[in-house]
Amino acid sequence: MTALLTAAGPGERTAPPRPRRRPNLDRISFMLVFLVAPLVLFAVFVLLPFAQSAYYSLTSWGGYSDRLEWVGLQNFTQMLGDEVLLKSVRNSVVLALVVPTLTLTVAFAIACVVTTGGPSIGTIKGLRGSAFYRVASFFPYCVPAIVIGIIWAQVYDPSRGLLNGFLTAIGLDQFQSFPWLGNESTAMAASIFVIVWSLIGFYTILFIAAIKGIPAETYEAARLDGAGRFRIAMSVTLPQIASSFQTAYIYIGLVAVDSFVYMAALNAQGGPNYATLTMTQYLYNVAFFQGKFGYATAIGIVLALVTLVYAALVFGVFRLLRGKDGGDHA
Amino acid sequence: MPRPSRRTALNASATAAALCLVLAGCAGPGASPSESEGGAVTDKNPFGVAANTKVDIVVFDGGYGTEYAKYAAGLVEKQIGDGVTVQITPSNNLSQSLQPRFVGGTPPDSFTNDGADAIPITSIQDQLEDLGEFWDTKNYDGVKVSDAVFPGVKEVGEYDDAYLNANYVMTLFSLWYSQSLFEENGWKPPTTWSEMGDLCTEAKAKDKYLFTFGKEAAVYYQWLVLDSAIKQGGIDVIDDISNLEPGAWSNAAVKDVLGEMEGLIDDGCFVPGGAGTQFTQAQAQWSNDQDALFYYSGSWIESEMKEATADGFEMTAWPAPLLDAGDAALPFEAVQAGPAIPWAVPKAAASTAGGKEFLRALFSKEAASKFSELTLAPTVVKDTVPADGFGSSALASTMGVMEGAGDDLFSWVSNSYSGYYGIQDAPYWVSFLGGDITAQELIDAEEKLSAAAAADTSKPKKEYDYGK
Repeated sequence: MTALLTAAGPGERTAPPRPRRRPNLDRISFMLVFLVAPLVLFAVFVLLPFAQSAYYSLTSWGGYSDRLEWVGLQNFTQMLGDEVLLKSVRNSVVLALVVPTLTLTVAFAIACVVTTGGPSIGTIKGLRGSAFYRVASFFPYCVPAIVIGIIWAQVYDPSRGLLNGFLTAIGLDQFQSFPWLGNESTAMAASIFVIVWSLIGFYTILFIAAIKGIPAETYEAARLDGAGRFRIAMSVTLPQIASSFQTAYIYIGLVAVDSFVYMAALNAQGGPNYATLTMTQYLYNVAFFQGKFGYATAIGIVLALVTLVYAALVFGVFRLLRGKDGGDHA
Repeated sequence: MPRPSRRTALNASATAAALCLVLAGCAGPGASPSESEGGAVTDKNPFGVAANTKVDIVVFDGGYGTEYAKYAAGLVEKQIGDGVTVQITPSNNLSQSLQPRFVGGTPPDSFTNDGADAIPITSIQDQLEDLGEFWDTKNYDGVKVSDAVFPGVKEVGEYDDAYLNANYVMTLFSLWYSQSLFEENGWKPPTTWSEMGDLCTEAKAKDKYLFTFGKEAAVYYQWLVLDSAIKQGGIDVIDDISNLEPGAWSNAAVKDVLGEMEGLIDDGCFVPGGAGTQFTQAQAQWSNDQDALFYYSGSWIESEMKEATADGFEMTAWPAPLLDAGDAALPFEAVQAGPAIPWAVPKAAASTAGGKEFLRALFSKEAASKFSELTLAPTVVKDTVPADGFGSSALASTMGVMEGAGDDLFSWVSNSYSGYYGIQDAPYWVSFLGGDITAQELIDAEEKLSAAAAADTSKPKKEYDYGK
């Protein structure tokens, strides 16, 4: 491949410079469709709203009139003393740390089992019936988040819910009427469980696809060297799909920081003592219930910053773990 | 025709992009309201609705539905004639659907600002028409509107000397129980908190609880606590809280009632698990399963639970208990009842005359009786509910309890103007009723929120004086 390219190289370089091609209709229409149109869409629907929000966040806009009063950085200084906001930031950080880690760990485990966890003789393959597990794990992802939230709110219902019904049936009477979503110490964990449950399937599929791209020889070599299934997963599979992991971590982190739909269905007001209030929920409440769109926009800007910091951290950590040149397969 | 060069193509696209930006900008704030030609002012048409006006009304489609508004729309079309039509648009989330219309200067001619997503009144205060003229006009029965309604109704909608809201539904806030269930068991509804405790013991003997609550509606018990504290300590209690006075929540009456409730919570008098239960399911524990004896709510409760009420459940209203009848500021019979479901007319509406004309129809006897018949709830218009309450025990007892209170009716819930209590403090009440935080911790949280609301200068504030 390389030899071919270098062989062709000098030939091209000696050729006289090509005359600049004159624009024709084909070229212009190509530019319009593939360059100008997306750029315009991007400017109108992404850049302009960004600029607008930045501006609104410096005003005390109430949201229902066209008058904007400039207040400078007041919205941002106000946040420092806003206890409920700080609580919501803390909750969002917890979500950003726990949800990706849990989801990706479980998804990775399932992906390994259904691709490489099969018999230790013969070709590398997954567990028997792995096609079924793959579909089963993906299933929750097909259900919309709001439906998942409503279903699980019923499952968690203290007196009629499935969960307490099951727990009391096996003799754990302390869970009689236990309010999973209404107790400050369990509300967040119960909500996180729902989010993780709903996301595992998608990331399992993502990892399965990445693992299928790893050459079978690598596995065979590892097995000849005497590596067990766990060792193979950690030392062969994981490094090879590290870039998929990184992408997944960032994407799921954004979903977790948002979490609006799940939380709105599980605990619309923010949970007991605001135990599950997310920044997105608070932003919505401040805008629509308190009529402070300027302040809400400022919260949105902080939310964007939190997201950026999260993405930067994930990039940084993965770079540290993998060394500078990456060196992974996928 | 010369071929366009790359440069001209780029220029053209840049211009197009700039044009798009400008156009997008124009879609935002700044469009001017369209003024309609006024019609002739006559006795029949006192606001001068112009011929062929299409009156645009947005109605909150909640527990009361929109049928009553359609009925009133028909009355307007009959009254004015001249090709005037009234368009009723139902909406479930007022603030999201009306926000762009307010910003764009094209709000409806009249709307109900109600429901969980109502627009905070402070956000649109300067964009609403003063309804003073409307209150002074005769309704379809030939009676001045302000005389046709219960006393105090007009004043509830007053902000900074302007009458911005015309509240329509008379709502009673009280405890609710099944008279038949109480008679069966030989129970008597209590008038004091200590009797409440005794009843709790008796209820437990029958495997029942005193109260139930749901996670979204924990705040109903805030209303119960404050109603009781007001009856004990006087109307100043709620004046101070509404005016965001420091220390208002530490008032002795509030503290003592909260203490009583904390005692009941600790004694297990609430159906367990309320903090995690959806509120209509919690309400069904009371109206259908009859696991709880009492529920605190507004008089909409009957129509809200229509589908989930046990047969023979005689839903009956009961005033909030007192701490000590001996030194209470108000008699036990005093209850909170006030007008709710605010109607308003935006200044920028295409036809403010049409909006007001619609309200004039609504505040007439024919439309008001229709409302009560459809929803089993009383309106603010007097003499529109027959003695049998259209066959509803709840409606009949609502009227009875309000009559029993006589001059000791007070009203504050529909006026939670400062926008923090009942909304921002709701999660703390969930924790309190769930037994996670103490009464003192709840008071501290309320004080903190109140101080923050007082310090917030971005919103206009109203001076409350419920005693006047």
